[in-house]
Amino acid sequence: MKEAILFWLNPIFRRELLDRLRSWKTLIAIASVAVVSCGLVLLRWPTDSTVDIVSQGAVLIFRPLAFAVTLAVMMLVPAFPATSLVSERKKGTLAILLNSPMTPVQIYLGKLASNVTLGAILMSASLPAFAACVAMGGISIRDHLGPMILVFLAMSLQYTAVGLWISQRSQSTDASLRWTYIAVLFLVLFSIAPMVFVGKLDGPKAFLAQALTAVSPASALQQITSSQGAAAVLGIQTGWGAFLIASVLITVVLAVLTLRSLDPIKLDRARPTGKIIARDANKAGVLRSVNYIVDPNKRKSGIPRWLNPIMVKEFRTRKFGRLHWLIRLIFICAIVSLGLTVVAATGTVSWGVARIASSMVLMQLGLLLLVGPSLGANLFASELESGGWPILRTSPISSLKIVSGKLMSVVWTLLLVLLASLPGYAVMSYIQPDLSGQVSNVMISMLVAIALVVCISACVSTFAKSTAAATAMSYGVLLTLFAGTLLVWLAQGRPFGALFVERVLMFNPAAAALSEMKAPGFEAYRLAPMCWWIGLGISAGCAILMSIRVWKMTRPD
Amino acid sequence: MSHSESYVVETKNLTKRYGDFVALDDLSIHVKKGQILGFIGPNGAGKTTTIKILVGLSRPTSGSAFISGVNCSENAGRIKHLVGYMPDKFGSYDNMRVREYLDFFGAVFGLQGSQRTKRIDEVLEVTNSRYMQDKFVESLSHGMQQRVGIARTLLHNPQVLILDEPANGLDPKARIEMREILLRLAAEGKTLIVTSHILPELARICDTVAIITGGKLRAFGALDDVMRDLCPTRSYEVQLLSETDVSKADAIVRQHLGANAELQLSKQERVIRFPTAESEQALSELLKNLLQQGVMVSQFREVVGDLEDAFLSVASGPANDSK
Repeated sequence: MKEAILFWLNPIFRRELLDRLRSWKTLIAIASVAVVSCGLVLLRWPTDSTVDIVSQGAVLIFRPLAFAVTLAVMMLVPAFPATSLVSERKKGTLAILLNSPMTPVQIYLGKLASNVTLGAILMSASLPAFAACVAMGGISIRDHLGPMILVFLAMSLQYTAVGLWISQRSQSTDASLRWTYIAVLFLVLFSIAPMVFVGKLDGPKAFLAQALTAVSPASALQQITSSQGAAAVLGIQTGWGAFLIASVLITVVLAVLTLRSLDPIKLDRARPTGKIIARDANKAGVLRSVNYIVDPNKRKSGIPRWLNPIMVKEFRTRKFGRLHWLIRLIFICAIVSLGLTVVAATGTVSWGVARIASSMVLMQLGLLLLVGPSLGANLFASELESGGWPILRTSPISSLKIVSGKLMSVVWTLLLVLLASLPGYAVMSYIQPDLSGQVSNVMISMLVAIALVVCISACVSTFAKSTAAATAMSYGVLLTLFAGTLLVWLAQGRPFGALFVERVLMFNPAAAALSEMKAPGFEAYRLAPMCWWIGLGISAGCAILMSIRVWKMTRPD
Repeated sequence: MSHSESYVVETKNLTKRYGDFVALDDLSIHVKKGQILGFIGPNGAGKTTTIKILVGLSRPTSGSAFISGVNCSENAGRIKHLVGYMPDKFGSYDNMRVREYLDFFGAVFGLQGSQRTKRIDEVLEVTNSRYMQDKFVESLSHGMQQRVGIARTLLHNPQVLILDEPANGLDPKARIEMREILLRLAAEGKTLIVTSHILPELARICDTVAIITGGKLRAFGALDDVMRDLCPTRSYEVQLLSETDVSKADAIVRQHLGANAELQLSKQERVIRFPTAESEQALSELLKNLLQQGVMVSQFREVVGDLEDAFLSVASGPANDSK
């Protein structure tokens, strides 16, 4: 009790928690979790007088509910810690804190505890819905609800530690947000990936792949909800106990790493000043000309007349947007493409086209959702934040050129990612020539997905005042659109009917791609071309809204 | 050529309201080619509102503003070519070198190819920034960033430069460099409007000043005229050779100025100081009197008031109190 009081007295914990609870965004997040979870229960609540003696109804509602709250924890919990330390450092308050009698451990624990508490409050909004499942019968507190709550708390702990660690290492809030979400997605999805390749084998590789799955909450969810989803198909055997241990281990490791760098001396880093190395006739100069196709330390020539200067500026201001980085990205894409081609060539025969194509679509979707929102959300919010917008407003460049330059800088990058999979699809079409029509439809679906990602995140960017808010909001909207609709698909049959699921999936072009390739579970749906029109309609609406907003922003007040 | 046509910058009864709040009230000022206007006022006085109207970022509720005869609110497109604007926030982009930063804005202003390269070299030269052309913009010190900011405003060779707080946050050396750059630009025929809180700095470079408080223009004109108008009582100082002359000189000065004169005596310094509104003629009579009565005067001089005194006399005036 005394310790609890002392913890409450940690000023960092108190300030951060109260600060967030006072925010209307937190209130909306808690209310959304409560409304969605209670809505799911209401949809499934029995209305007839027939007694469900095996209590399957409660299990069927418990499953999507658990997935929905997992998604909410994944989306909402990392947002605050991801901006926490980096924004304190940028504002200069971190130096004041480190100069106070508080120790770095107290500062860190205050931040960690406040966010985990917030995660617990967020999760508690879904407790009435979970309680209803228990009341329906078939769900026990000991076997289902208790472990589920522990898993949610462990997720909050793990993702908070990840967010704080990345936040400590990042130079800007939006970069921190971007890398945190990427890390969370890797922990949740990509930790399962090795199982796809070596899971069915024996030996140390399979053991390691199996052990790695403990990092993802998928295995825990599978065990608690007794679902026969992808985790079961892949043969994942790690349960919720392993997940709890993995979460605590990850948290401890990341806490140590963060605390090691939470040192005023280590924080005093020199800013890179930039250096141009002349390619003289000396040895070093000759070596550089041989070594580099595009020398990062060579002075760049001016922006060519035929290129939109805004687009070039967008590429140049990105850390990985420089030509030497783009060439590396193209090479990585080429290697991935070759890998996919090999997988497609060997796997199409043994695994079947549907499974290979589904994996490729999901991989592309993952990359689009990782890269797209952070790039799109930066477009306008960063101009407003950096003070560059008033200068652009006083220049003669038109709002149309600003919008097109900014949008194209994201579109080209995403197209590059998409093009990496082309050879893989080509191989599939070569092995099964009758697939070429379906492959074209998949490519169209992915192009529509790109349009949606770019237009929605750019539109969000015009309404946000900071890049961090724009990035978080874009991730929220796009994850709801792409992952949320797949969540509804997971609950097909009970409580949602096939027609309802089909209508919801119409908003998700990735689902259209999966249905075109007859991926397992999507065979019954006919989503294209209506899904494309809806996607293009939403994109056009966002583009129009964004253009009007930009036009207004360039007008005199 | 009419009087109005000789002005490069002119505002006529400029008023801007935000709902009930009057940000700018009937402001009329004008600046000639090659002049530097110091725009002075406390925070929230209406300086930035005026600047925003002049650069086409805001529309006046009534009145009009012209740059080289072009209406700022009706012809915003042309104004963008005539004005170089440097806001108080630098507006840096991450991961961009100084030369790339200038190249981008050169392209945005429509400069192409070799013309752009040549112009970048010129503005780097004018602002003494060539040595930092390969450095990342975000890594520059504040003073260096301000110089790059001025280089950017000069890229499209505008007639008028509007600089919002260019000396803010600069160290003394950087301030001197900034002053030299601004004076050089004015000498080249550019018209400058400069806002600043560092009034002694403005006093050194401005030909004309406009003092604004609560959206109203309190004083406007040549620097000397404004000083004279706002500080009618000038301070004089009589430096004596001997300590024993102080009492004698005190009596003579009191007799000349009247019994209520506010005199400051310092026997150690052998100085008498007094404020007066008397003419030069009357003061020369006083000096003659002192010398005739055997007072050994080593110096008889005016203590020059500064812009800060003028600003304070306006800022603490009755019109301001009623706000």
